[in-house]
Amino acid sequence: MSEFGPLLQSLTRHRGVLACLVASEEDGIVVDGTAHVGVGTNAFAALTAALCRKAQRASDTAGFGQVTFFELEAEGGRVLASGRNGLLLIVVGERELQVGLVRVELRRAVEAL
Amino acid sequence: MIRHSVMVGWADGPMRQYVDDARVQLAVLMHPSGQVLAQHGFAKRLDVQTACALSAAINATADRLGKMVDGAPFRGLHYTGAERQLHLAQLHVGDGLLLLLSVFDRESSLGIVQLYLDELRAALDAAVPPDDEAPPALAEDFERDLNRNLAALFGRR
Repeated sequence: MSEFGPLLQSLTRHRGVLACLVASEEDGIVVDGTAHVGVGTNAFAALTAALCRKAQRASDTAGFGQVTFFELEAEGGRVLASGRNGLLLIVVGERELQVGLVRVELRRAVEAL
Repeated sequence: MIRHSVMVGWADGPMRQYVDDARVQLAVLMHPSGQVLAQHGFAKRLDVQTACALSAAINATADRLGKMVDGAPFRGLHYTGAERQLHLAQLHVGDGLLLLLSVFDRESSLGIVQLYLDELRAALDAAVPPDDEAPPALAEDFERDLNRNLAALFGRR
């Protein structure tokens, strides 16, 4: 198991989680992760990292400082992300994902990055 | 020596889409010999010519060096500068190989560029003209072909 294994496991055990990825914040390249069949991990990591960078720029412009949590809610699912030390932890889930629980777990897991 | 056709024009659509999607600032699609096929972002033909020559040299060097030290060619190059990043990719299109040089800043990322490279490869595959539609490019015609392509890209004959 990789050094991110326990961290990924703590998130993927939640019902509705389709993928959990550790990616480079700057490049959007997948460092580690687990995903259900059919989830395009490289695409998700690249696009989510890009969204997070844009969100950070928006926050900087507004004078809000560091973005600590990012959530995208769509008709068919959700993407949650949080970053630290140049790494981004991304959770891709179904619409029915228990957001509150996963969010708490994600914040805890990010501390280990 | 017969090389694949270096007819310009057919790759413009896929390249435009790639530049829009991947948010790259500069992009040049070329034959491994350094013949330009499509470009975006360069204002001067001499800059395109130089970028193509240097990219072809990098590719040839990495190819030989890889074979020498690792038994297989080194493929692709990514360089991170202070403000901009450079990515040189090999694209297998049709029966041949093309090179794509991309330069991007913080508006894009390596992940985004790699993501849209796959789409570009598929679009080029669909757009590549059959070999019998274009005359084969000959090594002795390199300069003539290069000048013709640059003239076509920059609107000067």
